[in-house]
Amino acid sequence: MRKNWFVLLAVLLVLVAFVFTGCQRQGAAKKVKVKVQQWEIPFLNSLTGPIASIGEFLHWGAERAAKEINEAGGISGKPVKVIGVDTALDPQKGVVEMGKIVQTALVALGPVPEPVIMAAMPIAVENEMMSFTATTSLEYAEKFFPWSISWFPKTEDRLPPLVTAWAELNPEMKSVVQFVGNYGPWPGMVAAHKVGLEKLSLKALNNVEVPADAVTFGPLVVKALEQKPDGIIIACWPEKAAKLVQELKSRGWKNMGRILLFSSADDASLYSTGGASLNGAIIYNYINVDVDTPRWNAFKEAYAADHNGMQPPSLSTNYYDAVYMIKEAMEKTGVTGDPKKLKEERKKIAAYVADVKNFQGLLFNWDMAGGVPTNKPTYLFEIQDGMKKLVKEIRE
Amino acid sequence: MPLPLYYFLAITAINILMSWALYLPYRVAHLHFLTVANMAISGYLSGWLVQGLGVSFWAALPLGFAAGGLIGWVISLFIGEAPTFTVVIVGFTFIYITRTVIENTKAVGATMGMFGLPLVAGSPALHRWTILALLYSLVLVVGFLIHRFEHSRLGRAASAVFVDKDLATSFGVDIAKLGRLLQVFSSTVAGGCGVIYGFLYRSFHLDFFTFHLVGLFMTIIFVGGYATMWGVVVAAPALYGLTLLFPPEVASWRIVIYGAILVAVLVLKPEGFVTRRLVLNLERLLSSQRKKIQ
Repeated sequence: MRKNWFVLLAVLLVLVAFVFTGCQRQGAAKKVKVKVQQWEIPFLNSLTGPIASIGEFLHWGAERAAKEINEAGGISGKPVKVIGVDTALDPQKGVVEMGKIVQTALVALGPVPEPVIMAAMPIAVENEMMSFTATTSLEYAEKFFPWSISWFPKTEDRLPPLVTAWAELNPEMKSVVQFVGNYGPWPGMVAAHKVGLEKLSLKALNNVEVPADAVTFGPLVVKALEQKPDGIIIACWPEKAAKLVQELKSRGWKNMGRILLFSSADDASLYSTGGASLNGAIIYNYINVDVDTPRWNAFKEAYAADHNGMQPPSLSTNYYDAVYMIKEAMEKTGVTGDPKKLKEERKKIAAYVADVKNFQGLLFNWDMAGGVPTNKPTYLFEIQDGMKKLVKEIRE
Repeated sequence: MPLPLYYFLAITAINILMSWALYLPYRVAHLHFLTVANMAISGYLSGWLVQGLGVSFWAALPLGFAAGGLIGWVISLFIGEAPTFTVVIVGFTFIYITRTVIENTKAVGATMGMFGLPLVAGSPALHRWTILALLYSLVLVVGFLIHRFEHSRLGRAASAVFVDKDLATSFGVDIAKLGRLLQVFSSTVAGGCGVIYGFLYRSFHLDFFTFHLVGLFMTIIFVGGYATMWGVVVAAPALYGLTLLFPPEVASWRIVIYGAILVAVLVLKPEGFVTRRLVLNLERLLSSQRKKIQ
């Protein structure tokens, strides 16, 4: 009898050991013979031209990740280099550069922004190469699945809870007017705001369109105030958003907490143009700069040192995280960099990142399902003297 | 064919055709920026026909040409003999109007744009060869027509209008008719280019048709030479190729380099690199008949 117990115990121990080591193996990086001396990740970005300042901090984030990874031993033991490829926001240049990239690259970052994404991404899709379009909305990125992933959840799922949370901060608010810039996904975002308002039975008044070339804002503000709104949502270019707030204040708008600025307005030009007139206004975004972790603090300090003491803008972490996600995908799937296996290894990376679980991002961990993040948080902040103070975290 | 070479050749052909579309009305001193709006209108129209209604590309293409020509003709009834400044203003206004209409038209994707346009031929490789064949056939046909125009009475009449409208009128040139003819022709070419431009990228976005294009085509015309059609043929690949060849360290100075080239050309060679005299000399060199005449 006792002998039987010993046998059973031994079998159980063997099973436990087997399961344990098996699990360990699944979680750890595969040992592979890497065929390259250095990993190269091209980044199709707008480093010159109208959005060069955005392109700069996107590239900065990617390079920062590469630097950290190299200091910690690289990807599968080899250093990684992010190669900036400038498109100057020109689709004509974007397609030629993407045509070059797909010949040899395992994976790429970019393109940035939407016009270049639309022109150049079909080339990545045709050549079955993953390219991280980490600044655009799901509505653009999903057209290129599985060779792209979305950095953001679906607009109509993500924004209504944010707007509802803002409206709950102002219970006396009954009607809201939205200023909207007609650019890319913004009208879709405005429609999603409306859904959030309707959840609390708030009246969404007629939108006021902000033309791309608007220089005076008085008539736009008069048009909005004529509808006698209790709240304002501003969804347009950052500098114009700041000028709209200034114009609203000059025409007697007092309750700053009832002004909500959307995420794409959260840029340096909003604060430099708006200054103290923005104090008290609410803005929503996807990163919380007040998070206190050593990794984020180091990132913030490095960013400030390289950018005259400025805080990292909201999109600055996207390509930082993308480079880490590539590292994880390459190590976990055993990518070797062997040119003969280019097609196969591109597929491995794409498949891995589309469904990565508990990815350890710079600010928070998240899961992906079918190329879409499932549990990323969003935040409401109050603006005070050019800084953002957390009001609420919203996690679905 | 390597992809970068394909895109270089295809976009160069588009730039040649569109610069010609601007060059031709400029022969009667019209800066006809309506062509950029024509490009967008016909492009989006073809995208909607193909994606929304299931019309084949080969049916949508001639409709794109026709839409360009029709809009060009209607507008030319009003600005066929207008002064340069008026034509410029009408062109810019039309670009704005077109953008606003497209931004608010859901059938063509509004501000989001149109995605996933189908291949024009069976496979990606065949698609590319077809686009290239189409574009360079167009370059040959349009180039031939412009060449014939320049060597005809109409071409000489256009030169007279460029120098002095009153003088040309006194010679019996119908300025309005000539202006209309050139505007309609350039709008037609631009319409076709818009269709192919979208199917080249296999998508449409409003920012494909910005004032950036106006600047690009103007630079091509003035650097290449605005007095002959050949300037465009030289400048289009050179200026586009130059930006692709810049090393990353120099790329950020691209606009400065462009500007410097443009200023230098305007100061040192106001007629551009390819002048009428140069073309005439080359024609004399190449023509055995002319030697006999001399």
